[in-house]
Amino acid sequence: MDPKSPRATDASSQVDLTVDMAGLKLRNPVMTASGTFASGREYADFLDLSRLGAVVTKGVSLEPWAGNASPRIAETASGMLNSIGLQNPGVEAFVARDLAWLAGHDVPVIVNVSGHTVKEYAAVVERLDAEPSVAGMEINISCPNVDAGGMAFGTDCTAAAEVTRAARAVTGKPLIIKLSPNVTDIADIARAVEAAGADAVSLINTVLGMSIDARSRRPRLARTVGGLSGPAIKPVALRMVWQVASAIELPVIGMGGVRTAEDAVEFMLAGATAVAVGTASFVDPTATIRVIDGLESFCQETGVAHVSDLTGALVL
Amino acid sequence: MCSTDIHERRPVLEHVEVMANDRLAQGVGLLVMRAPRIAASVEPGQFVHLRISMGTDSILRRPFSVHRVVGDTIEVLYQVLGRGTRDLAGKRRGDAMDAIGPLGHGWKVEPGVAHALLVAGGLGAAPLGMLAEDLAGRGVAVSVALGAPTAERLVARALFERVARRVELATDDGSAGEAGFVTSVSARLLERDLPDIVCVCGPEIMARRVAEQAADAGVRCLVSLERLMACGVGACLSCVVTTKSGRLRACVDGPVFDAEEVVWDGSEVPPRH
Repeated sequence: MDPKSPRATDASSQVDLTVDMAGLKLRNPVMTASGTFASGREYADFLDLSRLGAVVTKGVSLEPWAGNASPRIAETASGMLNSIGLQNPGVEAFVARDLAWLAGHDVPVIVNVSGHTVKEYAAVVERLDAEPSVAGMEINISCPNVDAGGMAFGTDCTAAAEVTRAARAVTGKPLIIKLSPNVTDIADIARAVEAAGADAVSLINTVLGMSIDARSRRPRLARTVGGLSGPAIKPVALRMVWQVASAIELPVIGMGGVRTAEDAVEFMLAGATAVAVGTASFVDPTATIRVIDGLESFCQETGVAHVSDLTGALVL
Repeated sequence: MCSTDIHERRPVLEHVEVMANDRLAQGVGLLVMRAPRIAASVEPGQFVHLRISMGTDSILRRPFSVHRVVGDTIEVLYQVLGRGTRDLAGKRRGDAMDAIGPLGHGWKVEPGVAHALLVAGGLGAAPLGMLAEDLAGRGVAVSVALGAPTAERLVARALFERVARRVELATDDGSAGEAGFVTSVSARLLERDLPDIVCVCGPEIMARRVAEQAADAGVRCLVSLERLMACGVGACLSCVVTTKSGRLRACVDGPVFDAEEVVWDGSEVPPRH
């Protein structure tokens, strides 16, 4: 199917792709992963945004952030490292420019929020809470590429709960906490943010990694270390989604190397209510649509009436 | 070309077929692809983002400036530097790939320009080939300063000699033109030909030197910059260039920048693709 065409309304297709996730009714469980899809505009040449379950935006902070020095990426076996550093124009510019554009595209908008301090996170959440076109927020406590904040909040149960409580205090909108895999026990962090008032968790953010050029003896990233994404991390992500989904009652958004519909199915079987496509969009700008169409076909072929029936249906 | 309607020319995802893949010099190749939609809309200085491998080992696309358009084919020049370009060198006639393009903002040479100086170092000749043909076709006098390590590596020499009024060469080993850097050729041509504009592409240290020469001479300078790139469409922020207006994306805000805007902060790297 042409990814730019509106969704086919084939009455003979008996598959219900809709999912309820943290109070949001999504037309399908396929979202974009923060930082891989900007605010959607960059991909509108290649696909119809209204076909997506949701657009999750690039991280937004209170003030503009310049991000890290270059080089910011390195390709690795079946994946890539990045150390972008959450470059973004700040929440006011985001609202005026990106959100205003996205609001007209008939797709739920989940804004990813970054901060250096609990106060900064809360200020951005409060600002976005005032925007009717924001369907929900995803709090990034797991970015490995910033010095202050970011992953520091996601690797400690107390700090993770504190950020969650502060955000919860200033919004009634669906609040998703994005978890870091760079921890000893991700289920502990998930329990902490559940108790602090989160509506859902998303995982995994990138896996802290490193690449070295043997000849120059230098790291390939200017920042030396960065976050690994792509097919290489899928087994790690699946394991963690399964652990977290087993540990908490909240819905889980699964991501990490989702490239095909079968990848999405695997995440749902492990316990995910929805999935996000990330690095795959860099490789194929229509990857999200391929996953959605493939999910529908998969369900038809395997006799699954509601895609949500896959969630947690792992046979052990 | 270089018209103001560039924003209307939106990129497409196009299946392309390899028509030829010729070795031009040690480690340098010319790839000819049938790509009717991209060929019909690409402007000089724009690029295509090629998915070289369909597997999941090497996952990222690789960006290549469009060197020439001939009918419904596009040509790119590449140097084998890493995994992507090694795989590219193995492509044969009839092989299929997919390309996103045309991408980026190319050379903006205003209609009033009478004389342009193009300065190319090594594979920097790639985005200047199409520009040279286009300018010559518009009656603009074109001078070219062309440099490479050896005579064999002056890969676009024949194209430039066909369309330019003057082509002067420099090679590291003196096997063609003068022995030394292309920047001494560009300095001489700037003084002698009094161009209205300088367009440069090559190693960043060389591009920066040419930009300084142009600034000293009071001549506008455009520079095509290369960065490691993931998405190619403006989403990932991998390929940023530091400018006076902040960090801009080489893929959509460039790859051609006004040299005056560029902050040469040493963040450039030799891409190892």
